[in-house]
Amino acid sequence: MTQVQPDRASEEDPGINALSEPFTPGAPSNPPELADYPETLAGPIPPPRQDPKTAAFVEQWRNTSYNCFSSGHKFCREVCPVTQVERNESWTPTAFHANVVAMERGELDIADIAADYVNCTQCGACELRCPNTLFTGDFYRFRTRTVDVVKAVRSLAVESGVHQPNWQVWNERTDLRTHEPVLGETPVSQERVRDWAEGLSIPIGGETVLFVDCEAAFYRTSVPQAVAQMLQLAGYEFGLMGEQWCCGGPAAEMGYAEQAQRFARHNLDDWRATGTKRLLVLDPHDYISFTEDYPKYFGEEFDIEVVLVLDLLAQLLREGRLTPTVPVDRAITYHDPCRLNKRKGIWAEPRELLRAIPGLRFEDVDRVTQWSYCSGGGGGLPVEKPELTAKISAARLERAAELDVDTLVSACPWSERPLSEAGDAEDIDVVDLHELFAQSLGIAVGGSRGDVGDRRLAQERTGVPGRDRRTRGSGLGGCGGGGCGGGCGNDPGEGSGGCGCGGH
Amino acid sequence: MRTDEQPAGPSAAAPYRFAEQHTPPSPVRVSEVAQSTFEHVYEVDPRLMQEHVLQQVFPNWDTLRIMRSRHDHLAWMHRHFAEKVVTGSELLAEVTAGAAGVGNPQESGPEAGSISGSVAR
Repeated sequence: MTQVQPDRASEEDPGINALSEPFTPGAPSNPPELADYPETLAGPIPPPRQDPKTAAFVEQWRNTSYNCFSSGHKFCREVCPVTQVERNESWTPTAFHANVVAMERGELDIADIAADYVNCTQCGACELRCPNTLFTGDFYRFRTRTVDVVKAVRSLAVESGVHQPNWQVWNERTDLRTHEPVLGETPVSQERVRDWAEGLSIPIGGETVLFVDCEAAFYRTSVPQAVAQMLQLAGYEFGLMGEQWCCGGPAAEMGYAEQAQRFARHNLDDWRATGTKRLLVLDPHDYISFTEDYPKYFGEEFDIEVVLVLDLLAQLLREGRLTPTVPVDRAITYHDPCRLNKRKGIWAEPRELLRAIPGLRFEDVDRVTQWSYCSGGGGGLPVEKPELTAKISAARLERAAELDVDTLVSACPWSERPLSEAGDAEDIDVVDLHELFAQSLGIAVGGSRGDVGDRRLAQERTGVPGRDRRTRGSGLGGCGGGGCGGGCGNDPGEGSGGCGCGGH
Repeated sequence: MRTDEQPAGPSAAAPYRFAEQHTPPSPVRVSEVAQSTFEHVYEVDPRLMQEHVLQQVFPNWDTLRIMRSRHDHLAWMHRHFAEKVVTGSELLAEVTAGAAGVGNPQESGPEAGSISGSVAR
């Protein structure tokens, strides 16, 4: 209800008197004279920007930016991974919106601010925690759009010829090789994108195909191997793409919008050519691309069903088609990937899978607390500012270390490289959930876990333990941290090592 | 207000299909300026957002994510900061019984305000 302004309510003008009682804006039952009340809230409209690209950008993003600028809640700050470690006021979500307001007023140009927008992992914490999303976004169908604003600013910068040097090289190489240069100076190529699947006898094409992101296809190949072997164990039929290109998501995140859409077009055409109707996705970043970017690019034409592998595995677990029986002697905590938890609200299925693995001691941190956690591996940050990614991932591992665990489990290949490097300093292994679940199914997971992961796995196999791992494995099934409440089947009276819920 | 027959919505990780995501449930009017779609989801009458600020494209998953996250966040706040959590009906009962210091200070009587759901204090 809108409160009256006492001074105005006392005046004689009948239009003003209409404000003497509280009213709900837009309500048909309002006094008709309210319609005559003059609009006094809007300020003068700034003259349009001369540059057509800037003018179009401002026109598209002014409302969502004013939505932030005029509110000034700033709840975003303490969940922002960059703000937490840098405290740079120019690199906050509020600054990212305020700049758009300043651009509309002609006080800033894209060249002035483009470099500031590097400092964002696009984790989505700020826009979810913003009251304009969390408390009113679904009501108005209008929410804070920091991630989209950051992508749009980066895109405007590229269109305006303002490039970040590492992003420019990264995307040039991606365009040349059709895959991201995740192996550094070692080239990736179209011919090798299915190398990870060698010996697994996976057909090409078909109604259902598994899409493997660049990082997993070329660097952390243990993840797609684990996924493929689990699906084969369950008797789930799937194939691989005829000619898979990068999903285009990273290019879109870094501002190379034309390239991103060109890659998306290729992939959609390839699915058409192989009669594909369903896409299995193991990487959260790809999941964002296919459920947010591709629908924007293609609209109704995008009629491909997108299935998150974690959801499929949970379903196969419930149906009894996959039953983990091999104990995994680790004390773990779970890292909610930003693009699953914050940006999609997906947190239950990973915990369901972890709860089913025998032998784990699971120290869970709830999903809301993890809104402020991030690996630092998203949004192109590790490409342009690896040192900032390292600070964010180090902060994440410090939180894991407080739980006295020997393993941090993630479900995002892009998070696992920086987390593994930070974990090495804390003597904490970083393992992918797919790898861990496959292990509990008795699958010998092959492939590479990356430089750090392979080295630590070799150390473990030769008897060098991780962080106190051998003395802390409980041998009991973890309840998943939802507060055991008897649901895990373990007797709470047996002590803190019983259910492994960690008291959360 | 009717929520008992409204869909609770698919799980967050359910398979994505474009057509489904862009087809919300038929709205149920809950006031002269608001409607309801999914269970626990209330939306402004879209006719009121056709001039100054237009509504954004909102797939169903986003609507449900925000609603569920709000509930998660409020529960989290209660767990961390509330000494105890009481229901609105309990508060109203206290007001009715004349308990001092509880209720809407701007008004009085059991009809004061519109309190529903749990409240932390």
